[in-house]
Amino acid sequence: MFPFVYGGEGPVNTTLLSLSDLVIGYDEPLSDPISLTVGPGEIVAVLGPSGIGKTTLLRTVANLVMPLGGSSKIHVEPVGGLGYIPQNLGLVRHATVAHNVSLGAGVRMKWSFGMFAERRKRVSEALAAVGMEHKASEPVRRLSGGQKRRVATARTLAQQPKLILADEFLSELDDTNATAVMEAVFPLLAKGSSLIMVEHHEEHALKYATRVWELIDGRFSDLSVQAWKERQVGGEAE
Amino acid sequence: MKVRLFVIIGALSLLALVLLSDLAGGDWGRFGDGLRDFVVFFNESMWPPDWSVLEARTYPECESRLEFTCSIGYIGMVETLKIAFVSTILGFLGAILLSPLAARNLQSIWISIPVRVLLAAVRSLPSLIWALLFVIVIGFGPLSGVLAMTFYTIGYLGKLQYETFEGMNSGPIEAGRAMGLSNRAIATNIVIPENSNHLLSQLIFMFEYNVRHGTVIGIVGAGGIGYYITNYIKFFQYEKVFALLILIFIVVIIIDLISLFARSFVNEQGDVRRPTWMNLLLKKTEEKSQADSLK
Repeated sequence: MFPFVYGGEGPVNTTLLSLSDLVIGYDEPLSDPISLTVGPGEIVAVLGPSGIGKTTLLRTVANLVMPLGGSSKIHVEPVGGLGYIPQNLGLVRHATVAHNVSLGAGVRMKWSFGMFAERRKRVSEALAAVGMEHKASEPVRRLSGGQKRRVATARTLAQQPKLILADEFLSELDDTNATAVMEAVFPLLAKGSSLIMVEHHEEHALKYATRVWELIDGRFSDLSVQAWKERQVGGEAE
Repeated sequence: MKVRLFVIIGALSLLALVLLSDLAGGDWGRFGDGLRDFVVFFNESMWPPDWSVLEARTYPECESRLEFTCSIGYIGMVETLKIAFVSTILGFLGAILLSPLAARNLQSIWISIPVRVLLAAVRSLPSLIWALLFVIVIGFGPLSGVLAMTFYTIGYLGKLQYETFEGMNSGPIEAGRAMGLSNRAIATNIVIPENSNHLLSQLIFMFEYNVRHGTVIGIVGAGGIGYYITNYIKFFQYEKVFALLILIFIVVIIIDLISLFARSFVNEQGDVRRPTWMNLLLKKTEEKSQADSLK
């Protein structure tokens, strides 16, 4: 739709995303101008009531929606550097689980004779990480909601992106499965990737987040988890 | 919402009736007379169907053990099916190459608009006119029919395909685009597999359409069962025409059943294991034998 905005190497190689006076929205602005940066290994939880613009923020960062003002720059490789899990997961329903995961595995691969074996290896490793290797040849449409979420996670794991944008990918999962999915993602984060996740369930998100972006009535706040919790306590006391 | 929908449908129906009245010159009696004339014509000229079209021709002599295979009906139908099959496959290949280029959600308007214009140009000529053109250029015979229907299939199927692609859920495309996949990779790895059910359905519909149209292009000498139908009409042998029409109808029904079966592999319906008649009968027999043994 829109050209991928490749910001080049981030400032002192530590920035994966930089937003500068970014105004999100379709016709009307949904937020104040947002300016911030995201570094390696961060887990950002985007919180706020339904319909407030959390998904629009994520889609704007993914360059799928044109910003109303300011700019959003991603300092990762233009091909394969960004992983995006949309709210409806964006899986190819009539294709197999392995096909979906191989989309992530093959995105950066250059053609070679060993490419297919390498891709198969990555697919099976990613599926094993989310406990879905036994469903590799099953069409996605036959899976449950939770299983589909794990396949979407496996696709991202196989892709090995530097920045992951996930829209409610832990919802529909019980605590055990949410933990299992996050544990599968941790090795990627340990290598320096960052995760920005829109989550409806605050408990799920805050369990793992290192930072909170809150969007309420057009006001955007960038807080540490501790600061966000203190603000909640203060709000309740008032 | 419902009231508005009824008003729109009502207004469109009224407009259609007014236009029909205009086309009929206000003479509604012609419809009644026409129907009566058709009943008389059908009873006197078409009924009963003359099934001699399924008997072996006297010349050339039939060398097959199955005489049926030397009949006009069989030879014409097989030739029509061959023309329809070849042109559907070639047309599908042409369309599947062009339609991702024409879809607005996959390409910029600088590519999609010219490809759409090309498909519209190919589609604007009916298969009959294409057949006429190829008969003039190549000569009489099935090859003209194949080329005519291939071109028409590209135009028609191309439009159906790009409209299907444009109507699909944007999630998978956005995920692919965000991860940096090229438009070609998105089309081949996401869009085509995601729409496989529709593509298969359209492919089989087009085959059925080409089988039916095989009867029409025969009129201009482009081969198939239509050639024989035209000849019988020329000699007022309407009973034989009716028999060949029944044959086409049966083939179309069979294609429809094949379509139902083929599509069950790529849709949710196919995921539900339904008992077959054979299973039901065998189960009944097993239950009966078990009941007998208990007695």
